[in-house]
Amino acid sequence: MTRSPEGPSVAGDGARRAPSPAGRPRRGGTDWRKRFEVALLTGPAIIIFVTFVILPVGMAAYYGFYKWKGYGPPTDFVGLQNYVTIFKDSSFHEALQHNGMIVVLSLVIQGPVAVVMALLINQKMRGRSLLRVLIFVPYVISEVIVGTGWSLMLQTSGAVNDVLTKIGLPGWTVDWLSDPHVAIWSLMLIISWKYIGFAVILFLAGLQGIPEEVFEAASIDGASYWQTQRHITLPLLGPTIRIWAFLSIIGSLQLFDLVYIIWGQYVASTAGTSTMATYMVLNGRNAANYGFGNAVAVVLFLISLVIALTYQRFVLRRDTEGALTEGKK
Amino acid sequence: MNGRKILAATAALTMGALGLSACGGSNSGGGSSSGGAVAMTFWHNSTTGDGKAFWAATVADFEAANPGVKITIQAIQNEDMDGKLQTALNSGDAPSIFMARGGGKLADVVKAGQAMDLTDSIDAATKTAVGAAFSAFTVNGKIYGMPTSVLPGGIYYSKDLFTKAGITATPTTIDELSADVGKLKAAGIDPIALGAKDAWPAAHWYYFFALRECSQDTMNKAATSRTFDDQCWTKAGVDLQTFAGTKPFNTGFLTTTAQQGAGSSAGLLANHQAAMELMGAWDPGVIASLTPNQKPLADLGWFPFPAISGGNGDAAAMMGGVDGFSCSAKAPKKQCTAFLNFFMQKKYQEKYATAFQTLPANQEAQSVVTGAALQSILKTYNDAPYVSVWLDTLYGQNVGNALNSGVVDMLAGKGNPAAIVKGVNDAAAKG
Amino acid sequence: MATMTAAPSAREARAPRRRHLGGASWVTYLAAFAFVGICLGPVLYIIIGGFRTNSQITTDPSGFPSTWQLGNYADVLQKSMFWRQVGNSAICGVFTTLGVVVLGVMASFVLARYEFSGRGAMYSLFAAGLMFPMTVAITPLYIMIKSLGLMNSLAGIILPQIAFALPVTIIILVPFLRAIPKEIEEAASIDGASRLGFFFRMVIPLSVPCVVTTGILAFIASWNSYILPLFILNNETSYTLPLGVQSFASQYSVDTARVLAFTSLSMIPALVFFSLFERRIVGGLTGAVKG
Repeated sequence: MTRSPEGPSVAGDGARRAPSPAGRPRRGGTDWRKRFEVALLTGPAIIIFVTFVILPVGMAAYYGFYKWKGYGPPTDFVGLQNYVTIFKDSSFHEALQHNGMIVVLSLVIQGPVAVVMALLINQKMRGRSLLRVLIFVPYVISEVIVGTGWSLMLQTSGAVNDVLTKIGLPGWTVDWLSDPHVAIWSLMLIISWKYIGFAVILFLAGLQGIPEEVFEAASIDGASYWQTQRHITLPLLGPTIRIWAFLSIIGSLQLFDLVYIIWGQYVASTAGTSTMATYMVLNGRNAANYGFGNAVAVVLFLISLVIALTYQRFVLRRDTEGALTEGKK
Repeated sequence: MNGRKILAATAALTMGALGLSACGGSNSGGGSSSGGAVAMTFWHNSTTGDGKAFWAATVADFEAANPGVKITIQAIQNEDMDGKLQTALNSGDAPSIFMARGGGKLADVVKAGQAMDLTDSIDAATKTAVGAAFSAFTVNGKIYGMPTSVLPGGIYYSKDLFTKAGITATPTTIDELSADVGKLKAAGIDPIALGAKDAWPAAHWYYFFALRECSQDTMNKAATSRTFDDQCWTKAGVDLQTFAGTKPFNTGFLTTTAQQGAGSSAGLLANHQAAMELMGAWDPGVIASLTPNQKPLADLGWFPFPAISGGNGDAAAMMGGVDGFSCSAKAPKKQCTAFLNFFMQKKYQEKYATAFQTLPANQEAQSVVTGAALQSILKTYNDAPYVSVWLDTLYGQNVGNALNSGVVDMLAGKGNPAAIVKGVNDAAAKG
Repeated sequence: MATMTAAPSAREARAPRRRHLGGASWVTYLAAFAFVGICLGPVLYIIIGGFRTNSQITTDPSGFPSTWQLGNYADVLQKSMFWRQVGNSAICGVFTTLGVVVLGVMASFVLARYEFSGRGAMYSLFAAGLMFPMTVAITPLYIMIKSLGLMNSLAGIILPQIAFALPVTIIILVPFLRAIPKEIEEAASIDGASRLGFFFRMVIPLSVPCVVTTGILAFIASWNSYILPLFILNNETSYTLPLGVQSFASQYSVDTARVLAFTSLSMIPALVFFSLFERRIVGGLTGAVKG
């Protein structure tokens, strides 16, 4: 029996597969067994997750209603005032804009390049393993050292400008970091450099899920390489791409380390690369306004949540319903 | 792969985790005593070199002189110290002795009831020897910290580069400074190194202009009101803007760090790529680590921040930081204060001054200070009519942060003097 | 369930047009080399920077070391703290990865293949955790860890790291686990295996590539994690590798060259881990459902 490609689900099967909480499986007696299995398998994960993530998040939200210097219990209750200040603050608006640009540019720059690279590397070629390791190297390096290295390189008196001068292109030397017109592109360059390995690895793993038979069928039908990629590989890679996009969006919204280390919290706002997270640290932790900082964190959380839910509902929906593969009999 | 293997792995994981929690020392918090033995923890920020060695030796001496007292040292990197300390203080896990710099930040700690009142526990001899530096650690008339070094600010310069540009005498007024800047530029030298990426070096220029423009009274009043209402604050901004308009800073100063190793403003000075830098008294030590031969810069000189025309501040007033240590409220009072008094004795302060290449707070120990730059500072410091702490220390982090942002924005062309003042006044809404 | 590796190559010989899909042309090699060059350039800068002095880096930013300073690297390698930190980081990394993989696979399996009323809520619970970065949660997290008595221990690092790594793991694993054909599950139940049996005997081997991917991501995150160990570990002997950088940055200055040397060396174990496991990302569902 052959498998048809996943993707648009056949209506009949989709209906059969739709989860129906009311209609239990035929064997009602094993309901308890199923609940036991669910509890057993998810229990440890949920316990650890709630203890170390959900509870601290709740506490942070609580602090957001106070003005608090961080020492001793919070005493100065201000209700929603922190939130009002945030939404009126023009630096926050700027940070929000920057985040928006980063989200969009990340998807647009990294997605296509990573797909192409994954396709290329997936072929049988010599040194394929080594290639995979080398591409992944930027992702392995911690953000701190990436920041240190790049800021040394992109400083006005740093390595990049130095090289440009040495090879005779002094006109090309710009202020990579503090010129507002250039800075955001420098940031995108560094982000793409670091995270493209992550995208490639994810896509590679996704490509493994596409059986060889599909390609054979295509070549027997006479499809060229690019036709195969366009009509078969990419749609089959669809779920992986959508997952990667989701993670990329959330990561872009929370971007902090790279900007903080390379630009510093102050220059980031003048250079046009501040993000909500740097705004949070600048006005929260570093100003000893812990209540305010936690309020910003909650705002960041809510914005991410809204975007995530929207994304799930409209984009990932195809993957969540009827995605249990139907075999063609 | 079967079920048993998974269960075994999970069990092993849990046991391993529990076991690991046992093997790792446990932090005993503020201090404990069990049958005469007293344990304290001590946090400082000298993670390497002579400073670290100094503290290790001093603690050992103290333990020898006070049997039954055990001090555990932890060295934490300077940038991380604030965050770690705040978290520890907040959770009741505070170290017995911790670094403090006085001013508004210390006031916040005191307000939360987490610093020990030292007023009556300081040796009389130490009180006289240290003198005015205690004011940085005084909150509501009580002393909450012991200063170990004073770090006045001023302009460090390279004598060789000055000679090269034809400058014979150090400037005493801002106009003379601007003229010297012109001469240096004509000789192809970057006049002033500025680590504006970290913001505070740029803000220091503003602080000094404010010191010259505002009277001592105005500045002290602002410490309680945390608003900048007086005209002098805006005037200081205008002064800085005019001065910056002559482009005296190194190229790319917005991306130059102050002291983070190579490529920093200190590094520029150390390698004769810039002629001047406005910094505190720790600079000679930092510069020494960045020179080609890693020895102190031979031609390093110092002169005080120049005078301006007009202004309500005194032309000889100085501003600087004060480093010191406080005891947490939960620490054992007798032993903690004993330790503080112990390392303030003359011979330890002398060792401190040598190890850190800085000015000790204990004036009797100041004779060991060497180096032309440090000695100039010392003389000017002792002659100053009044000394203020750095404004971001004095006014607390919230205002300090707003000042930093405002000054950087102005230097980058994005803001103006009025915006600096507005930013400070707006910061009150956030905390 | 044999993957029949022999068959594809035989097929290759039979269909000549396969050449485009099978072997790689020189264009591919060129593109790959260019890509790798861009990826590695800055890394090489960091590595070579470790062979220079701070003064050199300031005065000649892009030059090669005039004299190769082996002292920086030698210094780092000889410090006993370095190896100790490597050990601590390795323990944290391995246990975090194990925990994440085990708990993540179990939870993802349930979310992917069981139908029950709380499923959507549970998935959203985990996804919501993704939106809260560690930077913010650190203060309340610290209090939580302290009240559990895990301060200054590696367990106090491992357990929160597992918790924070679960969202990404589950988000990646759930679609892959869903993609396992229902036919296999039905075949297994026809053979008499329970759902759990199906899980242990078939799902786990099939999901190896994906699990390896998430395991690698979890390990790397743990290896590079800085904020959490900074706040939790007070004892120098229990420091992990990122904290070790502190000993090259004194109160007021940073020994850049040494830092570059130190961090170049600390990337190596993470890369070794990755290269050991990346082979397993290949494979998987190839020919799994041959008729």
